[in-house]
Amino acid sequence: MNPWLRLIIYLVAAPLVGGLLAGWDRRLSARMQSRRGPPIFQPFYDVLKLWQKQNLAVCFAQNYYIFFFLLLVIFTGGLFFAGSDLLLVIFALTTASIFFVLGAYKASSPFSFIGAERELIQIMAYEPMVLLTAIGMYMVTKTFYVHGIANHSDLLVLALPGVFLGFVFMLEIKFRKSPFDLSSSHHAHQELVRGITTEFSGRTLAMIEVAHWYETVFLLGWVYLFFASSPIFGVAMALVVYVFTVLVDNVFARMKWQVALGSAWVVTAVLGFGNIMVLSFQR
Amino acid sequence: MVVLVTATVYVGSIALASQPAPMDLGDLPLGRHGIHEGMMIVELLMGVYILYVGVRARHFLIVALMLGQGAVMAWLESLAGSGVNAAHALFVDKFSLVMALINGLVGGGICLYALGYMREYHTEAHRDVPDRRPLFFALLFVFMGAMFGLVFADDLTWLFFFWEITTLCSFLLIGYTQTPEARKNALRALVMNLAGGLTFALAIVFFYRNTHSLGLQTLIHSKQAVVLLPAALLCFAGITKAAQCPFSSWLLGAMVAPTPVSALLHSSTMVKAGVYLIIRLAPAISGTTVGLMVALVGGGTFLVGSLAAITTPEAKRVLAYSTVANLGLVVLCGGIGTYAAVWAGILLIIFHAVAKCLLFLCVGVVEHKLHSRNIEDMSGLILYMPRVAVMMLIGMAGMSLAPFGMLISKWAVLRAVVDAYPLLCIFIVFGSTATLFFWVKWMGKLVEVVRPQVRVVKEISLDESIALYGLSLVTFLACLFFPFLSSQFIEPYVTGVYGQSAFLGRGNTIIMVIMMMVVMLFPLSFLSHGRGVKLVDPYLGGANVAGSPGFTGSGGTIENVTMQNYYLGGVLNEIWLSRIAVAGGAALLAVMITFAIL
Amino acid sequence: MRGLKQSPWILHYDASSCNGCDIETLACLTPIYDVERLGVLNTGNPKHADIFLVTGAVNEQSKAVIQNLYRQLPEPKVVVAVGACAASGGIFRECYNISGGVDIVVPVDVYVPGCAARPEAIIDGVVKGLAVMEEKQTILASARGSIDKITYSRARLADAGFIHALRKAAGQAEAVLYGDDSFPVLDESLQDLQNEFEQKVFLKAVINGKIIGSIAGHWDGHTVNVDGLAVHPYFQNTGVSGRLLMEIEQAFQGMKQIETRVGNKNEPLQKELLELGYQNFKTEVFTPKITWIYLRKERT
Repeated sequence: MNPWLRLIIYLVAAPLVGGLLAGWDRRLSARMQSRRGPPIFQPFYDVLKLWQKQNLAVCFAQNYYIFFFLLLVIFTGGLFFAGSDLLLVIFALTTASIFFVLGAYKASSPFSFIGAERELIQIMAYEPMVLLTAIGMYMVTKTFYVHGIANHSDLLVLALPGVFLGFVFMLEIKFRKSPFDLSSSHHAHQELVRGITTEFSGRTLAMIEVAHWYETVFLLGWVYLFFASSPIFGVAMALVVYVFTVLVDNVFARMKWQVALGSAWVVTAVLGFGNIMVLSFQR
Repeated sequence: MVVLVTATVYVGSIALASQPAPMDLGDLPLGRHGIHEGMMIVELLMGVYILYVGVRARHFLIVALMLGQGAVMAWLESLAGSGVNAAHALFVDKFSLVMALINGLVGGGICLYALGYMREYHTEAHRDVPDRRPLFFALLFVFMGAMFGLVFADDLTWLFFFWEITTLCSFLLIGYTQTPEARKNALRALVMNLAGGLTFALAIVFFYRNTHSLGLQTLIHSKQAVVLLPAALLCFAGITKAAQCPFSSWLLGAMVAPTPVSALLHSSTMVKAGVYLIIRLAPAISGTTVGLMVALVGGGTFLVGSLAAITTPEAKRVLAYSTVANLGLVVLCGGIGTYAAVWAGILLIIFHAVAKCLLFLCVGVVEHKLHSRNIEDMSGLILYMPRVAVMMLIGMAGMSLAPFGMLISKWAVLRAVVDAYPLLCIFIVFGSTATLFFWVKWMGKLVEVVRPQVRVVKEISLDESIALYGLSLVTFLACLFFPFLSSQFIEPYVTGVYGQSAFLGRGNTIIMVIMMMVVMLFPLSFLSHGRGVKLVDPYLGGANVAGSPGFTGSGGTIENVTMQNYYLGGVLNEIWLSRIAVAGGAALLAVMITFAIL
Repeated sequence: MRGLKQSPWILHYDASSCNGCDIETLACLTPIYDVERLGVLNTGNPKHADIFLVTGAVNEQSKAVIQNLYRQLPEPKVVVAVGACAASGGIFRECYNISGGVDIVVPVDVYVPGCAARPEAIIDGVVKGLAVMEEKQTILASARGSIDKITYSRARLADAGFIHALRKAAGQAEAVLYGDDSFPVLDESLQDLQNEFEQKVFLKAVINGKIIGSIAGHWDGHTVNVDGLAVHPYFQNTGVSGRLLMEIEQAFQGMKQIETRVGNKNEPLQKELLELGYQNFKTEVFTPKITWIYLRKERT
């Protein structure tokens, strides 16, 4: 498929798919807790409502950072689905996250400040694994380009089991789910009021929501890459992984950041790097 | 006077850079023997002075190392006599031009900056330090001259001559304030650099014994087995000069010197001499155990340096650790030695020199106004000193944000590493995320506004502002035009040495440019003046005190809001990290030398 | 536009509640009642919330906090007072530390009775609050750019309920000031007020879709009698009362004499009236703690 076509489909469909996934997440969590849960379209209602609300802020500039956060997340996903260099995609996502964190710093309130620090720690926790995933995929497919990886003839997960498991572990952090929902939690069990998103309201908050939807779709697309040689199986596995993260979210309580950072790095070193070692010796 | 010389340097550098290269300078009327004798005399004088310093400070190691160096050089003279036959003493190619350009532009900028900075230093900030500014500036220029000589030298003895001059300049400049702490750190720098100098001298001797030649180019293009030991020893020297583990402590201690010294010697130019040498030697050591050891030293330094930078709130210390870490990356590239790695390494050198220099200069200015080097005191700097804060943000973005220079370089390094030694990627992967943490932490601190600040009346003097604005512009342009830099300077060099070169590729370049444009649009958003946004208090549980950033505490007291960054003290310990670094580095170097000898 | 009613996010604040109503509120989140199926989310953050759910009566410390939090809620917002204490002070009304219900601090839109209020009632109150919020949104949207702006207009019979609540709230705040409950406005019933609509001209001050000020004028043949000036305590000292007085004068063009009365402790309003050209002409002792001061203005 033409990369431009893929890009356009992503731009249009990703927020819809992402929103549905978010709604499904809430419904599933509710059912796991013996509740009914909101309708699947609830995240869309939330964003629509937020769009109409007054925009309050502590400082004007804080909203600009969030707008660029959204732009860069869309850019990242667009790059990914258009098939370009995976390392560039990772760096673009990192830049987007930095804008998000800086926006929270700019808001200059204690809760958003600690949320921003914790978000940085989260980034520090998952970034090595993300890079190792790209490196692992390169070692198997000899290319960093997403379209090349997607067209690889073998099931990547068979050569990269450790990397895959590490990636799923890291997804739990990236999706901001327990046990690693340190910087901000969507559920009622807040710890820092709303953490990194405390001082945002109205349209800006809606933008953060939408950016998270784009990010979710991009990350699940990456999960799909592990199974790219059989597309239907790939999509199914992406959804299975998503349900798994929701399950873990409901089972675990929040952990301290030291545990988050330490466990993530240990998993990265053992599973991710171990896999890389095995691959390099096979060469 | 300073301005005149600086201007000359600028014009000269740019003119030189626009010449086609490599240039053959064999026909220059250098009067070889006269120069050779002259160098000998200067070296002798330097040696005597250092011995005097060592004896006066009762520093046994300095005396021993200097005597050792002297002995080795005497041995060389006896071997080579005056029949030294390096056809070309000077050599100019694209890589040298790049280094010279950096030296000229960045160094010149620093000299201008130093005019304003040292004036304030002596009149306000540090009145107790004796004013020896003429000596200071003289040393700065001598140093810059030595750097020019260093990057253009092909004859190893000439290189060594300039190398030692830089060591001496560094020693004198670190000890400028003449406080006991400064003296101690200056001596430490001297010891470590002398150790490097000793190995340098040994390398020359071994090289000459094997090949009867003193040319660097000859060394690079010789068979590996023949020149492995000299190359390893030269890498050792480069490692000491670039303050890699286990020699990092001298650079950290050198931060007591005034900021222009830190910027010039210890981030942008002198330490670049060390990595310059290693990158030059890359073809000679690539694929060998020696190369692997060098790469491991570099990678380890990168990781440890980045982690250590998280733990300290002192601005110059963070910058020093970051410098050491980035140099580690370059050394890693040199150690790997493939064409892709060398391409990445040179890119790193360029971007790091410019961005780090900018940051050092800004920190110097901030230190004068705030009377503190603590990052926590820089809260709200964006209001208090907006211009300097924005320039600092540019520098930090240049160091850590895609699509700016350092990120491109990291991208290149990753690709190079994965192709050559995939297992080394663990250093980069963990180290680069650590770098992100401390840079963004600092950026956030600059940007946050907890209490209203009044803008300081005069941020920076004219000289300082020329240098700072110029450097910001250069950083910005370097990032924007890096494909041009790559194709004009780096790729020709790499292709010349290896026969092929890495490059960014058209598709990726376009993506980078788009991303850069998106990020550049960010300042434009401030034009909207917050339309449609209403300002309210931050959330403090409803206990905000009107008109101030405080909140009502228990008992009706008014508490202040304070926010301090995480320094991960419970997880990372600076002392332990440095111990691990020293032990690991020493072990690796020992292995390297062993393998080179065998 | 869809969305506003489907996604009510709540800020739950306990003023000085015994926690009975709080427990019932939190019980709404449990599987038996599960308000999340209505899209309700208990955010602890005013900037994210639409509905300000307050339990408990108001004491001195809570006043500043409630005002602060109310300021941090983005429009359109709705205040729901849960439980008897939040409505009027409940059984703690006579206590030395309790000033009254929530409406003496911020304008309340929905009162949920009960002690403790049952979860079904709370959910019902929230749903009613959503309807109010939608109305406010319509008003805000129809007058673009009018957010946080106070508009003055003629009140209609349909507004009587809101004006009644407003007068009670303002009256309660005044009663606290005097330490005396005998203000006639506190005994007024809704029916009485609705009857007055036929004879009097009522004006209202509206901000963000909520009536926060009201005044009434009545021509009895030779003077205009102005009474029922009520401004919600949250919006006092913002010039609303002065503006309302000017507007009621405008409403009775050509009439030569205007009269009104004011309590003796209400110095700011006295000053305002004097500035507008009124003059003191009579004083009447109503109760030992309350003295009426009558003022008159002659127009040429």
